[in-house]
Amino acid sequence: MDNSVRTILEYAKELVKQKVTGAGDCISIKSGDCLYFSDKDVPLSELTEKNVIKMKPEEATGEYALHKKIYDAKEDISAICHCHPAWVAPIAECGIKIPSVADDMTQIVGRDCKTCKNDEKAIVKNLRKRNSTLVKGDGCITTGRTMNEASTCVLVLDKAAHCYVGSAVLKKNALINFFEATLMNVVYKMKYSKKNQENLQNEEGN
Amino acid sequence: MWTKETELELRKLVKDSGVKLLEENLVQGTWGNISVRLDEDHMLVTPTGLDYNHLQPEDMPIVQISDPSVWSDGKKPTSERKIHAAVLASRPEINACIHSHPVFATIMASCRMPLPAFTDELQEVMGGEVKVGAYGLPGTKKLKAGTVEAMQGRNACFMANHGVFCVGKTMEEAFNVLRVLERSVYQFIQNNTLKRTGAESYTDQLLFDQFIKQHKK
Repeated sequence: MDNSVRTILEYAKELVKQKVTGAGDCISIKSGDCLYFSDKDVPLSELTEKNVIKMKPEEATGEYALHKKIYDAKEDISAICHCHPAWVAPIAECGIKIPSVADDMTQIVGRDCKTCKNDEKAIVKNLRKRNSTLVKGDGCITTGRTMNEASTCVLVLDKAAHCYVGSAVLKKNALINFFEATLMNVVYKMKYSKKNQENLQNEEGN
Repeated sequence: MWTKETELELRKLVKDSGVKLLEENLVQGTWGNISVRLDEDHMLVTPTGLDYNHLQPEDMPIVQISDPSVWSDGKKPTSERKIHAAVLASRPEINACIHSHPVFATIMASCRMPLPAFTDELQEVMGGEVKVGAYGLPGTKKLKAGTVEAMQGRNACFMANHGVFCVGKTMEEAFNVLRVLERSVYQFIQNNTLKRTGAESYTDQLLFDQFIKQHKK
């Protein structure tokens, strides 16, 4: 089986296992001059080899064209997850951002994650300087150097959202300051995760 | 000094414990680290930045407890080894440490809110109220000092905006501390949600509704 197909199937299974999926999920990989997509009409829980679509970027339409535009805007990424984890929904509904609530979110996702309207331009704009965005009424989109990174980003984002929502009933969050949050994100990308991501790029075939 | 056989056994224990953290959803990605005591002045720890599923027992470095900058064998140790070393040095009865980021405990950590010992189980397993260590960037002296202070007389603490640190005489005991802490925080959040909303039974939807009520523009 093609490495990229195998990777999509493997991570679709993992995302389902971690309960961060919902209707309309679509994950993709950029490999060479081709894009690989999970069929957007097939739930990730039911995905099989025949539901992984390989296409040239110029053939992409609809949800697939959105992924293509994100790849065009972010040359350093090779994977995208558009998922619908439960805990991001109330935050996206309020149209607010998830602030720096925890170190792992700050490192993997970034110093915050904003919500944008469900519009191609707004999504691409939000992702230009960040690796993830919440989409009003349509879950979240995360990007990564590998599918491992993009899918981990979904899990951490859902956890951060859970923390943010959960803390509302306890008391106000104590946030990490801007400088420390930015520093952690840079160290994670440039140093901490670099070796792991290089190893995974070879394994995933991107 | 330890035997080669013991070392191999403990290397495998650390590897298996890392995978167990992932399987039990007590950590995401590479986040978190584990240590186990080899002798009075040495410990095995997980290496930095590598996925637990891809780790091999031989990847775990041996770190000197009295000077954690000294290490041998395996791959580069976790940057949080100084916390593990400080806790093991100050608590001779402890042989295993887990630093992790389970979701419910991280909610408390992100509020910087201590957990009262509201059940007999918590009192017995944690040794009292679970405190919050002062915030510090990963790998810094500030984080180490805050964690060590919050761990005094306790088997677990929250690390502000970061996660938790749990210890035990054995790895299984440290896992039990982690599991009890996570379960108890969940119960604490449920109790608070019911109190605040006046609802009779807990569902996540109660939290969603409460959040939207507070934040919707």
